[in-house]
Amino acid sequence: MSRRVDIALTVNGEPVTESIEPRMLLSDFLRDRLALTGTHVGCEHGVCGACTVEIDGVSARACITFAVQADGSDIRTVEGLGTIAGMDRVQQAFRKHHALQCGYCTPGFLMTVRDLLRNHPLKTDDDIRDGLSGNICRCTGYEHIVRAVRELADERDGVRGDD
Amino acid sequence: MKPAAFEYVRAASLAEALAALDHDDAKVIAGGQSLVPMMNFRLAQPARLVDINAIPDLNRIEDAGTHVVIGALVRHAQAMCSDLLAARFPVVAEAMAHVAHLAIRNRGSIGGSLAHADPSAEWPLVVALLDGEIVVAGPDGERTAAAEDFFVAPLVTDLAEDEIVVAVRLPVPPAGCGMAFDEMSRRAGDFAIVSAGALVRVEDGVFAQVRLALGGVGDGPVRARAFEDALVGKPATPQAIAGCLDFAVEDLEPESDLHASAEYRLHLVGVLSGRVLERALARASGSAS
Amino acid sequence: MTERAFPSASGLAETRPKYVGKPVQRLEDPRLLTGAGRYAADIRLDRMVHAAFARSDQAHARIVSIDTDAARELPGVIGVFMAQDFPDLPAIIAPSRMRDYRATACAPLARDKVRYVGEPLAVVVATDRYIAEDALALIAVEWEPLDVAADPETALAGDAPLLHEELGTNLLFERVFETGEPDAAMRDAPLRVSGRFRMHRKSPLAMEPRCYVAEPDRARDALTLYGSTQVPGIIRDALTGLLGLPGSRIRVVAPDVGGGFGGKGSLYPEEIMVCVLARRLGRPVKWTSDRLEDLTSTSQGFDEIIDAELGFDTDGNLLALTGTVVGDVGAYSIYPWTAALEPVQVVSFLPGPYRIPHYRGAVRGVATPKPPTGPYRGVGRPAAVFVIERLIDMAAAKLGIDPADMRRANLVRAGEFPHRIGSGLVWDRSGFIECLDAACETVGYNELRTTQAEARAAGRWFGIGIASYAELTGIGSRISVAPGMPINTGTETASVRIDSTGAVTAVFAVASHGQSLETTLAQIVAEELGVRPQDVRIVHGDSAATSHGTGTYASRSAVLGGGAAILTARTLRDKVKRVASHLLEAGVEDIETGDGHVFVRGTDHGVSFAELAHAVYSDMKALPADKREILEAMETFDPVTGTTASATHIAAVEIDPGTLSVRIHRYVVAEDCGRLINPLVVDGQVHGGVAQGIGAALLEELRFDEAGQLLTASLADYTVPSAVEVPSMEVTHVETELPGNPGGFRGMGEGGAIGAPAAIANAISDALAPLGIEVSELPVTPERLFRLVQAVLGKGGRT
Repeated sequence: MSRRVDIALTVNGEPVTESIEPRMLLSDFLRDRLALTGTHVGCEHGVCGACTVEIDGVSARACITFAVQADGSDIRTVEGLGTIAGMDRVQQAFRKHHALQCGYCTPGFLMTVRDLLRNHPLKTDDDIRDGLSGNICRCTGYEHIVRAVRELADERDGVRGDD
Repeated sequence: MKPAAFEYVRAASLAEALAALDHDDAKVIAGGQSLVPMMNFRLAQPARLVDINAIPDLNRIEDAGTHVVIGALVRHAQAMCSDLLAARFPVVAEAMAHVAHLAIRNRGSIGGSLAHADPSAEWPLVVALLDGEIVVAGPDGERTAAAEDFFVAPLVTDLAEDEIVVAVRLPVPPAGCGMAFDEMSRRAGDFAIVSAGALVRVEDGVFAQVRLALGGVGDGPVRARAFEDALVGKPATPQAIAGCLDFAVEDLEPESDLHASAEYRLHLVGVLSGRVLERALARASGSAS
Repeated sequence: MTERAFPSASGLAETRPKYVGKPVQRLEDPRLLTGAGRYAADIRLDRMVHAAFARSDQAHARIVSIDTDAARELPGVIGVFMAQDFPDLPAIIAPSRMRDYRATACAPLARDKVRYVGEPLAVVVATDRYIAEDALALIAVEWEPLDVAADPETALAGDAPLLHEELGTNLLFERVFETGEPDAAMRDAPLRVSGRFRMHRKSPLAMEPRCYVAEPDRARDALTLYGSTQVPGIIRDALTGLLGLPGSRIRVVAPDVGGGFGGKGSLYPEEIMVCVLARRLGRPVKWTSDRLEDLTSTSQGFDEIIDAELGFDTDGNLLALTGTVVGDVGAYSIYPWTAALEPVQVVSFLPGPYRIPHYRGAVRGVATPKPPTGPYRGVGRPAAVFVIERLIDMAAAKLGIDPADMRRANLVRAGEFPHRIGSGLVWDRSGFIECLDAACETVGYNELRTTQAEARAAGRWFGIGIASYAELTGIGSRISVAPGMPINTGTETASVRIDSTGAVTAVFAVASHGQSLETTLAQIVAEELGVRPQDVRIVHGDSAATSHGTGTYASRSAVLGGGAAILTARTLRDKVKRVASHLLEAGVEDIETGDGHVFVRGTDHGVSFAELAHAVYSDMKALPADKREILEAMETFDPVTGTTASATHIAAVEIDPGTLSVRIHRYVVAEDCGRLINPLVVDGQVHGGVAQGIGAALLEELRFDEAGQLLTASLADYTVPSAVEVPSMEVTHVETELPGNPGGFRGMGEGGAIGAPAAIANAISDALAPLGIEVSELPVTPERLFRLVQAVLGKGGRT
């Protein structure tokens, strides 16, 4: 066991201060310390994307980030998006298009899609697929996820969709 | 898959970082996108981690006229969107598009990629292709290393344990150069089986300058010098490129591994070299012969 | 069912809403989209401690000693346990009535020797997982290595090292299906094609790794296990025997489960150990698999060598088929399905949806020092369909006829059902030809062939692959899901109740882990009972909620659960009508339900379900005692044999002649799962299955070296498809009626994964037909394609 360190950060808009072991992964910090269990752990080596959160406004893997490295940063998790009664647009589009089945990879996808919508043109569906390629979904075959993101990108760009 | 315990030092300056590295088992962490997976598998168990993310000025891309200096803390995503890099070295953005995925590119740093030294990684190849120099800080000050000296073996560099990669210096190639990058990987974003980068300059209808860098076929990025020498002076045509491709695989002795046999790698060298050179040729100004 | 008008409470005529067949948005989604789902790993209990398993790094070795002293002394470690600490804990044994089957004894913690890399040896319990893993690093094991025969054919040889000495052989089972005179028919066949086919080992790889939390109840001497399982009922029943507790004191709950695909469908050592440890320590114990453990200890799938031959005449009529299968089943015969599950299904389904009069399929299952295999989406059929569909294409090529025509000529036709195939399976009516035609129409088959001809003329490697298949889904009580297995997988019981507030709860023994059963079953109950889907709470995945049940696997839940839902909701609706007829003073035949209300047809006279419930349960003056009814019903559905589902997949691919990478341009599925409950959900299941099939065809392979070490032990090396490797898919539905089945539903959860490997293998073979290359090994990676092409074109190849 190593010396604990104190960290102070903002999570979903709320200030948080905790004393942690430096080796604690951000994913474990969010889940075990803050009980924000919506961030899921799928591989712990940065491949599957299930643990994707936002650190200072960009998507990042919580499982290969030490919580101590997030000291002073602003973190958003799936719990910081819409609520059950008031889902945000990304969540609504995922529901409408049946873009989730077991739901385990979903929070990570939502975070990636937010980043894509902020920073990427997404002109073609291939662009969308490329942007999603760091998140593995084993249930949906991605088809409905791509359709949901297409609708969101078109809405962002003022393009009228088929429906 | 939880990492072993370590002592954590956040360095506020390069001097602090170097002081903290004066330790028998310390490792530098920046983005951590390669290091933390290894620590989670307990393949790496440093006793001390020196976090350099807070060091000022290492996250800049600077125009120094004859060359561009990219700080070690510049993230892949930042390099991918840099107008300066796009203007001077369009091949950088082309290569960056192959670096893992969105979230990894947001966090992974150039210094980290170079220090990790995966022989299939994009940054080492780009540095080799562009005749770049890796700037290393140590207790006795700064030194620079060319790619071919820096990358010693897969995941091994000539970086001493008390040194830090602080930047990479990329000399601006002469105007009119064409550049291209391509790679073959199992899936989008996976490490390349083989990668290839090319830079060509054409004068009077012949190849005046040729660089071909290859990844995934050696201890680090490899410059195909025999090929480069063979092609220089030849007519600037796809046929000339094809005619010299046997030189590209000369002296290469790639390993067979889980993802590809040595034979398939050599085959890919020929295929990808031809493609990047043809594309670089098409992009070179004055290529009409 | 026809739509009927009925008057609403407001007196306005309305159309009674129909929910079955509609793209109803999922009821699970709001919680899963907001991080409010509750998976096993999310469960935190007071005094909970964490387990981590020390695992074998040897494929086959005798345990000389395990030194745990240093691990025990680590601060935060509560205990380190080995097999000797639980002398009374029985081994896991999967029985079967199958002849020539040899069960294996799998101790939850290895005793004496280990039989695969990853086998649990010891377990550390600590205050957190980090410390538990620190302790694992301090455990020292001394081994006496034993000879390893990792290759299944080597393991069958007489001098091979025995994995289970007490069995005297590595052959765990042997079975032959025979119809007609296959040898004579094959000998006399004017034409024959044959090949040796290989399907390599896969991981189900659900995104949620397995996790179990056992919570002891000291006061009642009871235990609750929260686990990421597809089969809580099977686990509960197995634990009663292993722990010596009655079923009433063991509750197994599958909370939100993050995918299964078969990998969460068996009983695991870790599942038993957390229960045993929780009882020993008197506190909750949690174990969460990490991904490395998942790749080495979750049951693996497929892994067969298949030698097959197809005989046919010059008109393209199929005459005879023979297949010999060697299944590499791994170290143990998995509970409850047995090692026979996957390989036997290969020979059961090998004849496919075709008329083939003479058949022999022979299968042997071989124990090898690798992780146990178990169910994986498709079970046997992906390999069977790969082989027969390759042979059909090879035959078509030999005859020079189009592969679609070859299939059309040999598929079982509408008038020929029920049709018994050579393995004894019986196809009931299903749209075999209709699916083929629908797929061809959707993809624009003739135009696609024209496109291909143009591409070929330009030197491009462009191919079209078809795969037609049939599967048995929703298997009833007359057949067991696995051969000879003494567990009833063929019935499903539902109970539906209206409580004293008028709310509807429907309880099932299925266990949804992504299948959308909370929505689809609610659609069915709502439609039958006359409420809205969102008014129906579906309880599933809780062994305490039902007296018997198994779970969700084998494409059974829509068929069996849906059938039980209909029968039960109808019984309850009759009760509601009887009560309402008294309350509303009208004949039962004039009472109608809908939208949460009960009416007298053609009037505005009615009550809400809440009012009705109040009258029954609370207002003791509303009804005479003999008219009160418990608003609850329970019915069992048994499809007896099962339902036949079928589909045709068509893939168009292009191969980069330089890099040998494969790009899928088009992917079309036409499938017949009978009546659709929710088209969005059906499409999603097909898409996901196809993506897994693409993984099986192109990317995924668990590779082992000769010493039995797993080489692909991370998600960087075991490569599952991302959105880039999966194409856009087009799915069309053929809804063949299913008489005598209450809902007309056929199972379809596995189908996508069954057709895709064959369709892609055929498309790649078609693309490479000018070179005479046949794909016979999956996944067909760029490396394998390179070797195939090099063998024809020689060094240099094409760039």
